[in-house]
Parts: sequence; structure tokens; C-alpha cells
Amino acid sequence: MKKLFKYRRTGLIGSPYKILVLNIVAWVIGVLWITPFIGIFMTSIKPFREVVLHGWWTISPFTFTLKNYVDALFNPMFSLSRGILNSFIIAIPSTVIPVTVAALTAYGFARFSLPIKKYLFATILFLMAVPQQMTIIPIFFLSKNLSLLNTYLGLILVHSSWGIPWITFFLRNYFSLLPVELEEAARVDGATDFQVFRKVVLPLAIPGIISASVLQFAWVWNDFFFALMLIFDPDKMVVTQMLPRLKGQYQVDWGLLSSGSVIAMLAPLLVYAFFNKYYMSGFRGWAMKR
Amino acid sequence: MAKGVRMENIWKIFMPKVIALKNINVDIRPGEFFVILGPSGSGKTTLLRIIAGLEIPTRGRVVIGDQVVVDADKGVFVEPRDRNIGMVFQNWALYPHMTAYDNIAFPLRIKKLPREEIDKRVREVAEALGIAELLDRKPAHMSGGQQQRVAVARALVKQPDVLLLDEPFSNLDARIRVTAREFVKEIQKKLGITTILVTHDQADAFAVGDRVMVLRNGEMQQLGVPEELYGEPANVFIANFIGDPPMNIYKLSIDHPMVKQLGVLEEINEDYKEVYIGIRPDEAVALPLNEEGHLTGTVTIVEYVGSRRYAKLDLGNSISMRTLLECRADHGDKVRIRVYKLHIFAPDGKRIRTLTLVH
Ligand SMILES: Nc1ncnc2c1ncn2[C@@H]1O[C@H](COP(=O)(O)OP(=O)(O)O)[C@@H](O)[C@H]1O
Ligand SMILES: [Mg+2]
Repeated sequence: MKKLFKYRRTGLIGSPYKILVLNIVAWVIGVLWITPFIGIFMTSIKPFREVVLHGWWTISPFTFTLKNYVDALFNPMFSLSRGILNSFIIAIPSTVIPVTVAALTAYGFARFSLPIKKYLFATILFLMAVPQQMTIIPIFFLSKNLSLLNTYLGLILVHSSWGIPWITFFLRNYFSLLPVELEEAARVDGATDFQVFRKVVLPLAIPGIISASVLQFAWVWNDFFFALMLIFDPDKMVVTQMLPRLKGQYQVDWGLLSSGSVIAMLAPLLVYAFFNKYYMSGFRGWAMKR
Repeated sequence: MAKGVRMENIWKIFMPKVIALKNINVDIRPGEFFVILGPSGSGKTTLLRIIAGLEIPTRGRVVIGDQVVVDADKGVFVEPRDRNIGMVFQNWALYPHMTAYDNIAFPLRIKKLPREEIDKRVREVAEALGIAELLDRKPAHMSGGQQQRVAVARALVKQPDVLLLDEPFSNLDARIRVTAREFVKEIQKKLGITTILVTHDQADAFAVGDRVMVLRNGEMQQLGVPEELYGEPANVFIANFIGDPPMNIYKLSIDHPMVKQLGVLEEINEDYKEVYIGIRPDEAVALPLNEEGHLTGTVTIVEYVGSRRYAKLDLGNSISMRTLLECRADHGDKVRIRVYKLHIFAPDGKRIRTLTLVH
């Protein structure tokens, strides 16, 4: 039983020399990745004057202030807090809906035989490769004709259908790695197909489901393109649409802009941090040997 | 209530070309402990899965009690969940995310029995199988023997008509194995459940089985009580497969001196050029030269198996034989061989006769 759940070791194997090189590469990439963030963070907690006079990378003079955050959140013209609320209203259903639908689809692909299953799955893979920009004009007119333009529901549906193919692909591989005997045992024990799915498969696939949800949530939250095309009412705009507006009309207020960016990043970061344990094991599970 | 299981003309072909079962016909009686024995790849698991409904036969039908559960020709198929079968899988297939209690309760919860009823039955069966103190543990924190008991408990708790066990002992080490066999046999006799056990181990089969069916390459070779399989093997394969240490088997031409010495010729009516002759090590003894016997040989090895002593003998003409050793003899000594029982098979492997030479 234990053996079935053993993961493939992906740790550092090899000479100390190899480990050193890998470490250096990892550190370089890590530093490059995080530097802009540190810059933005520093700018966000400095008064505007200091940024303009001394640049954003200076340690002295350095006056700590939260004024930028307060201004960004409660700007009377473009309320970032409203944007955050809208982002949640969009992102939560846009995660729950496609993950639910895709989990059922993926289980079907993983375990049931269908006459044209191979071709259907190939179609899904193909759809994953289509760029957003190619689809936006039909999506726009479709939304317009269905009177879904400039509504939460419209954007949620677009995000959901965009998420379903890749989540199906991701979860199908995850499900097909689960030991079949458990499902057979449940069938002999009296469970219907749906009970097998809900009581045996789903609990065992939690890490995979959470990984998919975290990725989908972050993707929807960070999306700018679909929101820009489909939502224009300022009251309904999501946080990524609000950000550029914080720029100001006559001069760029760097402090406001960077504090807004930090706030916008917070939600996906917290989601990653909170589900980190499952998320990592979800990916390890995905790398399990067949 | 115990129910019988009848299999009629069962064929299973895995496309494109694996013929896993060839025309299996068996009638398993209510309350019987039935064993399917065969080497790996012989189709045992496939047959068990067909009874459970996890696999559909290519041809033939299965009847449990008086209900036809599958009939390939008429397109009848009863889902596994409606067959009231308990099954223990080879690797036990316990649900890893549930405690032992939840594992055992699973079939009852699916049936939506009242909570107190479930609790009562889970504790009853856990008590009977000696796993009452394990109920809070998850499978990962149990030993092999304990997991096996939980799996058996889960199969028994719903009071199935038929209990199916797929190699239930093969993941246990030798010592626990003996206890586990006794425990399964006891439970089966106490509850009187029709039980079908699959194994590749003849010791397992003979320890628990009321009747044993031997399978090879998807074909039934013989069906009978253990004594029959041992005493009157239907063909060379069974003669070779059953018995430990294995039977000495020789393919000899009719004019071979050994055939004459053993008096085989008078016993066969047909005109064969060759015959197989089989002698079990336990049905022949090596004695001092001055004793009466059928053959002579030279001791090459003396070995102890448990409390018995066997000699490996060289009979000349590059024929060697293992027999019981009942005299003081060592490497190089000449001995007389007395044969008590002799199995004769036709050149195609079928049994002709079993002779008792000495009473
Ligand atoms: N799902 C399957 N697809 C194709 N061949 C199979 C499948 N299941 C079993 N077989 C083949 O059928 C034969 C019998 O297998 P099995 O019933 O598992 O044997 P046993 O349990 O006696 O070891 C083997 O040759 C095996 O390779
Ligand atoms: Mg098997």
C-alpha cells in the first residue's frame, strides 16, 4: 500500500560540484526575480518627495510612511478597495466553476472508455495552445449578443471556459496516477460511480485539486487582458484595471502606483502561502512515475 | 445466507490476442471454501474479477444463488455494487485517507444504515477479527497482517453472499502467513460464507480449501479435494506442480529397463512408444541393499526437510531420483529403492493409472 504512494525522488543527486552549480543558478534566478519587487516595495513605503529627489533605490534618506497605502486604498477617484472586492467577486467563481467541471471531465477521461476519447482529448490539448488575442473578438461579440458585456457573469464565464481545458489536462494526469484498485474496492463495496468519485477519488486528489485551484485563482486575479476588453464600468473594474489609473493625470505618482501593485499582489501571494503544503505535494504527485 | 456460484462456459479474451480463460465450468456449493490454484498468469485474478463484476467475460455466464449476474450472450450484467460480494484485493486496497473504522464502515455508510447500527456492526466484526484496538489508525500505520485483517473485516461487515480473496497471504511473511490462514479458515467455517480464494501457493490452497481447482494458461486442469489432487493428479503438469518436494517425473521409452523393473508394461493397454512415470519422494524409500526393492541407486546428497530425511540418488543412465531415506547411508553408498506408489501418464501428459506397488 505504501509503495503506491511513494513519490519519485527529484532531489539533488550527484557530485558536490553539481550541487554548487545548481545552487548558484537557483540563487541568481531567485535574486533576479525578487529584485524588482524589493524596489517596488521600497518605493511604496517612502514619501513621494524622496523618490523624486533621490531615486527609488536609496537607503538614506529613508522616511517610513504608510501614506501611499492609505491613499491607494481609499482614493476617491479610483478606489482600489473596490477593485479588490471586484477581483474577488470574479476570481472565486472563476476558480470554483472550472475546477469542478474539469474534475468531473478529467475523471471521465482518466477512467471511462469513450469511442472518440483520444480525439476529444487531443482537441483539449489543441485548445490550450490558442492565444487569448485570437479569441477575443469572437468572445467580445458573443458577450455582446448575450448581453453579458460589462457584467461580472460574462467575465466569470470567459475565465471559466478558459480554465477548463488546462485543468482537465492537469487533473486527468493526476487521476490516472491514483491506484485503480481503490476505486474497484469501492465499487464492490456498493458505491455508484459518482460515490466512488466523491468518497474515494476526490479526497485522494486533494493536493492536485488545490494545485489547480491556486494556479487558476492566481491566473484570473492577474489577468488584465480579458477584464480590459469585457468590463468598462469603473464600479465593476478589477484590481489590475484600477492600477494603471493610479498613475495620476499630470504626473506619475510612483508611491501610489507601487503601493497599489503591492496590494494587488497580496491576494495570490497569500493563497500560495496558505496552500503551499498541498500545492507542493500536488506537483510532486504530478511527477510520480507511471 | 450462503449462496452457490456457478460458472458456465466462461471465456475471457483480452484484445487483441491474450486468451486469459478457456471454457471454465465450475459449480461452487453454498458455504464451500473453494480455492483456485495456479501459477502466475494463469487467469486466476481474471476469473475472480469476473465473479465480482469488475471484468465482463467474452462468453459464458455466471450465476450467484439463483440470479444470473452476467450472461455475455444475452447481454445481462449486474453491477458489482448489486452483487452483495465481499472482496479482499491482493494489496488489500484499503482507503488510505480513512481510519480502519471508516474503512470498515464504508460499505455500510454507502448503504445508508443508521449510525448506531453501523457502529455496532463495525465493532462486532473488529472484535471478531482482533483489530478492535486499531480502529483509529490509518492504513499507513498498520503492519501487513493488521491491514489484511482490516481488509477482511471490510469485506465481511456487510454480510456478503460470497467472499472473494485474491492472494490474501502473499504479502505476508512466512510466520504470520500460517496464523493468517488459520484465522481465515476459522472465520469462514464460523460464518459459513461461500468463499473463493485465489493463490499460486499450494500450501495456502491445501491449508484452507475444501475443494481446489487448478488453472493453467486459462484452462482448468483438475478439480477436486486436496487428497485427489495429490493422490491422483490428472496430468503431468499437476503432478509436477503439486507436492513438495516435487514429484520425480521421467519420460521413458517403453523398452527402458526402469519401465520393466517397475512392472509398468502390464498396466497399460494401449500401444505407447513412450510414457511418463512419476514417483513422489514421499512415496518411495531408500533402504539398505539387503532389503527388497524395485531399483538400486547411489546416494549423491542427503538433505533434511523439517524432520524428514531425503536422499538424492543416482540411478545410472543420467537418471536421478529423490526419495525418503530410512537407513544410514551417506554420499557414495549404494541403496535399494522401494517404490510404494507409481503414477503413469500417457505421452500427451494425461494420467493413465496410479499404481500401488507395496502395501
Ligand atoms: N486488463 C488486461 N489486459 C490485457 N491482458 C490482461 C489483462 N488482465 C490480465 N491480462 C492477462 O491475462 C492473463 C491472466 O492474468 P491474471 O488473471 O492476472 O493471472 P493470475 O492472477 O493467475 O496471475 C495474463 O496473461 C495477463 O497478462
Ligand atoms: Mg493475480
